[in-house]
Amino acid sequence: MDENGPSVIPLPRRLRAADIPAAFKEIQAGREEGPVTVDFRGVEDFDSSALALLSYLQACTSDVRVVNISETLDHSFRTFLGGTPPAACPGPDLDLPTRALHSLSNRFLAQMRAVGKFFVLLGDEIYYTFSYITKRKGVYPGEVWNQLFFMSYKSYPITCLLVFLVGVTIALTSAAQLKLYGADIYLADLIGYGMLRELVPLMVGIILAGKVGASIAAELSTMSVLEEVDALKTMGVVPEKFLMVPRLLAVTLAVPFLVVLADAVGIGGGILVARFSLGIAPSSFLREMRTAVDLGDFFIGLEKSIVFGWAVVVGSGYKGLTVGRSAAEVGRATTESVVLSISLIILIDCIFAIILYY
Amino acid sequence: MDIIAVRNLNVGYGSFEVLKNLAFDIPAVCLTAVVGTSGCGKSTLLKTLAGLIPPLEGDVFFRSARVDFQSEASLAALYRGIGVLYQDGALLNNLTLYENVALPVRMQQPGMPEAVLREMVHDRLSQVDLIESAAKYPSELSGGMRKRGALARAIVLDPAVVFCDEPSGGLDPVTSAHLDDLLLSLKETFQMTFVVVTHELRSIEKIADKVLVLHEGRLLLDGALADVHTSDDPFVRTFFLRKADHDDT
Repeated sequence: MDENGPSVIPLPRRLRAADIPAAFKEIQAGREEGPVTVDFRGVEDFDSSALALLSYLQACTSDVRVVNISETLDHSFRTFLGGTPPAACPGPDLDLPTRALHSLSNRFLAQMRAVGKFFVLLGDEIYYTFSYITKRKGVYPGEVWNQLFFMSYKSYPITCLLVFLVGVTIALTSAAQLKLYGADIYLADLIGYGMLRELVPLMVGIILAGKVGASIAAELSTMSVLEEVDALKTMGVVPEKFLMVPRLLAVTLAVPFLVVLADAVGIGGGILVARFSLGIAPSSFLREMRTAVDLGDFFIGLEKSIVFGWAVVVGSGYKGLTVGRSAAEVGRATTESVVLSISLIILIDCIFAIILYY
Repeated sequence: MDIIAVRNLNVGYGSFEVLKNLAFDIPAVCLTAVVGTSGCGKSTLLKTLAGLIPPLEGDVFFRSARVDFQSEASLAALYRGIGVLYQDGALLNNLTLYENVALPVRMQQPGMPEAVLREMVHDRLSQVDLIESAAKYPSELSGGMRKRGALARAIVLDPAVVFCDEPSGGLDPVTSAHLDDLLLSLKETFQMTFVVVTHELRSIEKIADKVLVLHEGRLLLDGALADVHTSDDPFVRTFFLRKADHDDT
């Protein structure tokens, strides 16, 4: 600040959109030092951006004084912006660390609110599912079967193909190593244990996230955007029950079907590699596998897969039902649902590993 | 007798206030038009009256009972007495038109015999002239047909009040006029109350018994259609004269 009062910033003769950034930068730099007087005396050639700058500066009454506004400029200002209240004056920009802190804290709070909403939805879904099982009300008749058809019959080809390929890949990679130590036969133990307890549940979960979860999020978010969810509410229907419970029940029934098939083809892939890469007969493979795994391993994999399926449905449903009002948000919700579902699957898998092995 | 009463209503999203200090009554068996420029809060008001957006302050009374937006029982009582026609119909795309109209009955009256339900749906679809399209999916219907189908769904359980969000929006004048006639006929025949959000002046002149004019979230006029023409308010006059500014000289 000047010792004799506010520093005076004269604006150039030409003040059009291209000249505004330099002028604005100079004014802001002056404001960081103290109050400023912005002199419009020289301004002769201007456009609407100069009027917007004038409007902004007039709102910054605490540290900016505007002087020498020509009659032409004043007339233009009153004609074009006379009825428009100035935008709130934000003051000089905050420094980078403060802005970063603001942004981080806002994001953290938004994330915490989202986590809270997710758990509220999860609690609601548990309640609504038991309520439907006991009272058989609030869900469209036949919807469970429609969803079951989509989740099982429409999903099994891709599930089988991918799990088979993963089985072959894992078997080939492992066979090369086991061969070095003369431990070829243990490929059966590795494939059996790995497939039943870990790979099949993970693969089924991830395929459900990509196929079923994305479809749920896209469908529900489209329904939200098209006001179909509001329509359900005003019909006295609880959307969280009407839309989610059939999907939760369907995934509970579809997952065992997918897991049994995926276990069979995944182990089948291992048997093929063992036969043609290591020369192990399928009967020897199965005999050795039975020494390493039992029915308990199958059920652990099945339990995990069912929990992954619930995570996919609740995670995708949450993304679909909390979408905004624009069509663009449908795509965003769909993408985020896949990310959320896969994250939940890996988190839950880790929790299972701690419970089972720690 | 008033079926809906609104007192000191403020509605907003976060810190942004859309509706400010509204107070009005809606008489039974009356068609009330809510009018105003785009973004003035018409649809927000409709959704608040329909129990979808809780107010920041103030009260909504339905059949003299205060609507408690935090109570599921209170909202359920409200939903049992209303039907809503949404801007784009909001028919469920995975159900046929017949199943869409049957849906409120199936959900709210699960014990309804299928034969009776069939008659109810048939009657409503006949009233909106869509009986031939009962087996079609919403994607196979035109915009006007979707709106009529949504109206059939909104009235299938004989609600006391039907809220309509821009029923004529996006429709050609002939279809729009047909829909107006339909609302009038339903009001007379079934003694229903309609609250219609619109900015179609021709439609307002034809169907409205009462008009609420909103501007920037405030209620500028609450009166009969005749009051609109005698209003001194510059905005009301310019709105109904279809002028771009508020100068009524």
